Amino acid sequence: MAFYTLGLTFSIMIALTVAVLAVWIYGLYFNFKKWGMGSTGYQDELRNSFWLFIATWIHEAFKDGIWVFIKTLILDVFLLRRTLRRSPIRWVMHMSIFYGFLMLATFSGLGMVMDVIEHFDVFGLAHFAEMVKVWSQLPFDIFGYLLFFGITISVIRRIFLKDVRGNTTAYDVVLIGGVFLITITGFYAEWLRGNSFLVGDAFTNPIYAPHFSLIHTILALALFAFILPWSRYIHVIAAPLTILANRGGE
Amino acid sequence: MAEEKKPLVSGFLKSTQFLELDGCTRCQECMKWCPTYDVYNDRPEITPMYKIAKFRELLGSQNGLRAKLFGAKELNEDEINQFMDDTYMCTTCGVCGTVCSSGINTVELWEAIRPNLVTRGNGPWGKQNFFPILLGKDRNPYQAKQEDRLCFVPDDAEVLDSAKIAYFAGCTAAYRQQALGVATVRILNSLDIPFCMLGKDEWCCSSALVRTGQRDVMRDHAVHNVDALKDRGVETVVYACAGCLRTATIDWPRWYEGYIPYKNVPLAVYLREKVDSGEVEWKLPLNDLKVTYHDPCHSGRHLMHVNGRDWAFEAPRDVYKAIPGLHYQEMTRSREFQRCCGAGGGVKAGQPDLALGCAVARVRDGEEVEADVISSTCPFCRRNIMDGRNEAGSSVKVADQVELMAAAMGLDVVIPDNPYMEYQEQDEIACKGEICQMEETAETKAQDVDGY
Repeated sequence: MAFYTLGLTFSIMIALTVAVLAVWIYGLYFNFKKWGMGSTGYQDELRNSFWLFIATWIHEAFKDGIWVFIKTLILDVFLLRRTLRRSPIRWVMHMSIFYGFLMLATFSGLGMVMDVIEHFDVFGLAHFAEMVKVWSQLPFDIFGYLLFFGITISVIRRIFLKDVRGNTTAYDVVLIGGVFLITITGFYAEWLRGNSFLVGDAFTNPIYAPHFSLIHTILALALFAFILPWSRYIHVIAAPLTILANRGGE
Repeated sequence: MAEEKKPLVSGFLKSTQFLELDGCTRCQECMKWCPTYDVYNDRPEITPMYKIAKFRELLGSQNGLRAKLFGAKELNEDEINQFMDDTYMCTTCGVCGTVCSSGINTVELWEAIRPNLVTRGNGPWGKQNFFPILLGKDRNPYQAKQEDRLCFVPDDAEVLDSAKIAYFAGCTAAYRQQALGVATVRILNSLDIPFCMLGKDEWCCSSALVRTGQRDVMRDHAVHNVDALKDRGVETVVYACAGCLRTATIDWPRWYEGYIPYKNVPLAVYLREKVDSGEVEWKLPLNDLKVTYHDPCHSGRHLMHVNGRDWAFEAPRDVYKAIPGLHYQEMTRSREFQRCCGAGGGVKAGQPDLALGCAVARVRDGEEVEADVISSTCPFCRRNIMDGRNEAGSSVKVADQVELMAAAMGLDVVIPDNPYMEYQEQDEIACKGEICQMEETAETKAQDVDGY
């Protein structure tokens, strides 16, 4: 069952999602083009080329061979080895946020595809799509808690550690506060729907569930497409690419 | 006629370095380790995290979404000069890169941003302006004569015109710390190693130019030195100066278009081989000296991924541990996490107070482990740590590894009379009877005249 409110329909939501994805993809292109301003090598001239950035990145990332690339991808990108070496607490925080966010985004994408299949009964798979959506509720909840756990550590660090607090800027507050808010609204929307992991039907309220769901969706999409690619939060994409380009770094 | 507007970036930055600017996660780890922020802890803007954020902001004003839609903002020169100030308050030691969660190669990044500031006319800083002038004119930063390059070599020492092994002494050993040069020559002779030196054909490695973003004279020096070494048929070049070693290993090949047939080897690695093979004969044990090693950034962190950790960190330690009468003591911050002495990146010339502050902190590190001697394999680190010692009023002595080794081998390291005697700046190792002790040097004329 889909939750729509305030006159929104399935078609409008799909159109909005496509528009948001288009903004997101253009944002990525814009950043790649910006990075492509640079040269391809030491003492080379500025290039200003999207494709030359891709070529330079591939050249740098694979300079030491495919195995170094794979090792870096697993140890430094997926397992955040560099962060673990410096601070186990920060590592737990980052891993929770990273995988919580990544998996929720994946399941959201999957949910959207299932919605489309269910709505148009693609290949007669409407029932299967509904089953997948039911099946994905538990992992959705678990990764939601994981994200919540990580973001809570982040907020606590920013509030209680003097040095960290002292160097916290408005940008940090917006990002961490934004993710925190999105996570909280997501949980509340989920709890209002009922039959949730850990809390069951304790907060069930079908009338307001769609409203919270909408707030959560708008906040998440706004962060995803309208803030992330256009601000320094692009580090979510740039940091893994940097680690790979520098083959794990110093 | 209106003054031509200079772009913020005119070159030098690779596209992956533009990516790095966006890769900073603001985790603040670099701030915990930055040696200059340790000294000026009321200026967070000099730390890598803030510098990256500022440069990104400046770039954004020229190339960001708003600039694309509504046109670029006019650059505020005061803001850029402030950024220049912050960018040059950095020794390019690279510890920020070592601890960076995103693996940003910070040394290369600073060295790519600085030439853009130089091209705009904002940089470099203070006396750093003299580097290209001095090197272009004299081929060394001490305004010394090139003909005097080998004036420190004793008459009875054997230095060949060409050989498979070359000793690249560097400007500081040739003119300011000649005891290091003499000790190196004596050790190589005592081990019966036939070696050559470039003499007047040895031009400054130009490390200071690259670090401060002044690349104009660099090409001449790199090409000249490589050609001079090739002309002599050299297969191995040994360096007792970490700055020269780093520049020859990483920077020269970027400027030299042909094939480079020789390999660059830290002297410590070469000497360890000789110690391990039993070729070194120890004669005078040091007098129970407690020695700690200061890892130079240039031969350690900067080269650990090029030459490996063994060459970068373990070889010098193995040599110390082999010297009789020497008790080796590790400082808390060592190897890739060592604290920079403060001399690098043009800071010694540009911001001497900052350099001194870093050096004092390093001397305190040595005192913490109750070392008698802070030793290194970089004459420039040694010079700055000595200045720090004098500033702190510490009793710790400062010596190069090669000199300690030469003393324990009982070699005659007396510097022959030459025009640069009054500029010598090194604590001396005095060997009387059967023991060797360290003696502090008096202040020299070098401190009054050197811009380097």
